[in-house]
Amino acid sequence: MSDKLEEVKRNLQDETKTIITRKDAEQLKIKYLGRKGIVNDLMKLIPALPTEKRAAFGQQVNFLKIEITDIIEEFIKRVSSEAIPKVKTEIFDITLPGKRPLIGKKHPLTQTIDDIKEVFARLGFDVVYGPEVELEYYNFEALNIPSDHPSRTDFDTFYIRDDVLLRSQTSTVQIRIMERQKPPIRIIAPGRVYRPDTVDARHSFMFHQVEGLLVDEGVSFADLKGVLNQFIKTYFGQNIQMRLRPSFFPFTEPSAEVDISCSICGGKGCSVCSYSGWVEILGAGMVDPNVFKAVHYDAEKYTGFAFGMGVERITMLKYGISDIRLFYENDMRFLSQF
Amino acid sequence: MKISYNWLKEYVDICLSPQELADRLTNVGLVVADIQPVEDDFCLDIEVTSNRPDCLGIIGVAREVAAAVGGSLHFPETNVVSAHADIFKFINVSVEEPILCPRYTAKVVRHITVAPSPEWMQKRLTCIGLRPVNNIVDVTNYVMMETGQPLHAFDLDRLAEQKIIVRKARIGEEIVAINGARRALFHDMLVIADGRRPVAIAGVMGGAETEVSNSTRNIFLECAEFEQRQVRRTSRALGISSDSSYRFERGIDPEGIDHASQRAVWLINDCAGGEISGGTINISERHETRKITLRMERLHKVLGVEIKRDVAIDILKKLQCNILNNVDKFIDLEVPSFRGDISREIDLIEEVARIYGYNNIPTKTSIDVRGSTKNKVEIVEDTIRQFLIGLGFYEVKTFSIVDTSPLQSVNLWSDKGGIDIANPLRQEESRLRTSLLPSLINTKRYNMHHGTEQIKIFEIAKVYLAGNKLPHEKNCLSILADTDYLTLKGIFESSLVNLGILSECEWITFSEPRLFRDERAARIQMDGMTVGYFGEASQELGFKTLSCLLEVDLDVLIEKSNFIKKYQNLPQYPTVYRDLAVIVNEETPWSSIEKCITDTKIAFLKEVNFFDVYRGKQIPAGKKSIAFNLCFQSPDRTLRSEEVDIELQAIVDSLQRILNVELRKT
Ligand SMILES: [Zn+2]
Repeated sequence: MSDKLEEVKRNLQDETKTIITRKDAEQLKIKYLGRKGIVNDLMKLIPALPTEKRAAFGQQVNFLKIEITDIIEEFIKRVSSEAIPKVKTEIFDITLPGKRPLIGKKHPLTQTIDDIKEVFARLGFDVVYGPEVELEYYNFEALNIPSDHPSRTDFDTFYIRDDVLLRSQTSTVQIRIMERQKPPIRIIAPGRVYRPDTVDARHSFMFHQVEGLLVDEGVSFADLKGVLNQFIKTYFGQNIQMRLRPSFFPFTEPSAEVDISCSICGGKGCSVCSYSGWVEILGAGMVDPNVFKAVHYDAEKYTGFAFGMGVERITMLKYGISDIRLFYENDMRFLSQF
Repeated sequence: MKISYNWLKEYVDICLSPQELADRLTNVGLVVADIQPVEDDFCLDIEVTSNRPDCLGIIGVAREVAAAVGGSLHFPETNVVSAHADIFKFINVSVEEPILCPRYTAKVVRHITVAPSPEWMQKRLTCIGLRPVNNIVDVTNYVMMETGQPLHAFDLDRLAEQKIIVRKARIGEEIVAINGARRALFHDMLVIADGRRPVAIAGVMGGAETEVSNSTRNIFLECAEFEQRQVRRTSRALGISSDSSYRFERGIDPEGIDHASQRAVWLINDCAGGEISGGTINISERHETRKITLRMERLHKVLGVEIKRDVAIDILKKLQCNILNNVDKFIDLEVPSFRGDISREIDLIEEVARIYGYNNIPTKTSIDVRGSTKNKVEIVEDTIRQFLIGLGFYEVKTFSIVDTSPLQSVNLWSDKGGIDIANPLRQEESRLRTSLLPSLINTKRYNMHHGTEQIKIFEIAKVYLAGNKLPHEKNCLSILADTDYLTLKGIFESSLVNLGILSECEWITFSEPRLFRDERAARIQMDGMTVGYFGEASQELGFKTLSCLLEVDLDVLIEKSNFIKKYQNLPQYPTVYRDLAVIVNEETPWSSIEKCITDTKIAFLKEVNFFDVYRGKQIPAGKKSIAFNLCFQSPDRTLRSEEVDIELQAIVDSLQRILNVELRKT
């Protein structure tokens, strides 16, 4: 029987949705509470019930009657107040702030890596990974950096054991990929790298790099410039200029440092670019034949280029962040800005 | 390397301002990091890459300037005044290690007057940051800065037995270097010794006992070549580096030794008088000239631009290469002795490109179009990141190298210890982490101290577990959230659904008091494998909030994730819902109830959903009431109420039989 009562209540709720005028509400009141109304019909069922259930059911119907009266009276009040604006006791404030859900954020370094990945994905580069704890061979010898060579001075390194170290560059991944895959190769390898630099505003003993490598037949220095130019224009903006300077990396030849025109001052010179109008963003070059030799590639047949960039550096440039340590303090007031 | 602008102009004719000169040098790879005015001169600080030791002398820089800008070169005077005596009367030189010392030359100058060097020389040395000492030392420094060839002057009268021996150090020998450092020497180090003891560490630094002083009358001037790696090893082993070792490590010009020696003697004679002994002691290994062929086709192929043969030859000539042939397709040439870095065709290609100008090479790509697909690691990491930041989480990045405190030593994944760094930056931060959670806890504390009380953070990074040759680097996802237990657990469960992982998780009692609150932590198991650890943060951690911690093996999630989707027909017949509440012992976990129900093998039961646990007045002590909802559905018809009632009764029966539950009346 109580199912029946529930049904009545549900029907009423549906019907209240149709109330527009005071008249609608009054009619609904008659339908449910009038002398020949639905509630009275329910009352008429009582005598038919077993004696022990009569009292309880009667009580339930009475209770329902009160509920229905309340609901309908509420509607009558509402439609009449809309029709005749009287003194408002309560005013809905449409200007109150919304209940905002918290917005989470990816770490700014992840955002930069994602952006870099996206640009290079459009150029057909796949993302690959390599170990952070590496054999010395992959970090040095295979990359044409022999031991006791002065170029090692540029690569101070954390060691675990004699021949095991924390990679000081993501170039290690180049070798691992080329060892198990034949050309054509088109990869980028993002990841953490480690160097025992004393921590200050510009140095961190751990930072992130993205390494890139393209090997195929007929790849030239002009292609390297073309690909990097695509990246720079897409990532930093179409009006940004690129400049290459000769440099030295043991694993590339010819080697270049790549600068972009300073976006802060537009090339006129400011403190960010040390008043040169240019900021260095990555190192690049044609893969040295000795590297190909280490992975048993035919250096006459294949040529290729590699490049590497510091994720922190690019992020700092992009947002004007002056202290690298902020990335690892993870202060919510910092992270929430990106 | 610091150079003086005026000094440079002595060797090459240029009419460029220091700034213009700096720009031109930068374009050929000699980056000028700084220009400082010094009186009427300028000091240019040039970054010389380790492959270009020839530019560690001002003449070398002058050669680059001439190649890049043009302008003729002038080399300094070396006319030596003729001799009065025979050098062999004063000293006997022998080289026991010809491989480590391929060339050793010496001169003797007698009856000199040690005094301050002339003002012009002092001024130039001061301009590039060298402290003037006396005319002899200053001349050796001056010539080194000019030519890039280190020299060393000994006080001839202090050399025992009139002997110089280039040999390995002997066990027990030690030396006090000119800078005052006393060092024990080892057998693998090369020294310059007199008849009794080492008087210099070959190529690194001279000894204090035989250095030139104000009372010195006669000098022995060494000008030699020492093997690069030997010098580097010794310098590093002793912790002594000098302008000399810096140059020897990178390699000096073997053909420049005689010139430097003569130049120094000439200047000494000019500044300190004295008599130059006739002859040169010259112990030498022969150097071969390097001949290389550059193929024009290869040049074109590597650079992607056709550089005319004339242009290439012109560049190579400017770089002092000796062109040997005149055939169309090749250039055969001889490389000058000071360019030890050029030994292959590719080195020549770089040289041509460098002087031709990197910025004159076109920017074009002829590479073909190729598609790239995201790998599963990226997809899973992206999916998790997007899911969590959508729920208001912040991603953090913390250091992989951590301290060795008890908290950081937590190792959930392995019985073995962490991996230590042999040469840490700071002794207290020397270990590769075995869990991300301690770093997240520290991040929470950092933010607490900076006014952020509530945080929800996660990190995706590696932990480093002891392995064989290389450690096992496990990708982990760790979360610290200021939520209650069930909220974070639910987030984790939903994230599994989001990754398409269908395997069920088992939650097994776990204890790690450094991280988790007692009795509120679990090891999470999936298909019999541990995938993670979860629990309420230990109260010992001192948080002011209720926080939960989770660390999951991301590699397993990557492996189990499944993004292949297949459409399932929508159910055509209605679902019937029934609620049930049972009173059980406190010890009975929900998982047993759920298992008991699913084990009952009910034909139309689709889902069991927990919704409430209640302890209170109507429930006896030591018991709890658990309420849940059951969904029944048939794929091919509408279920009748009686059918569902029968199934419900079967469920109640097995719950009563197996778990001894009591039905709670509603
Ligand atoms: Zn600027």
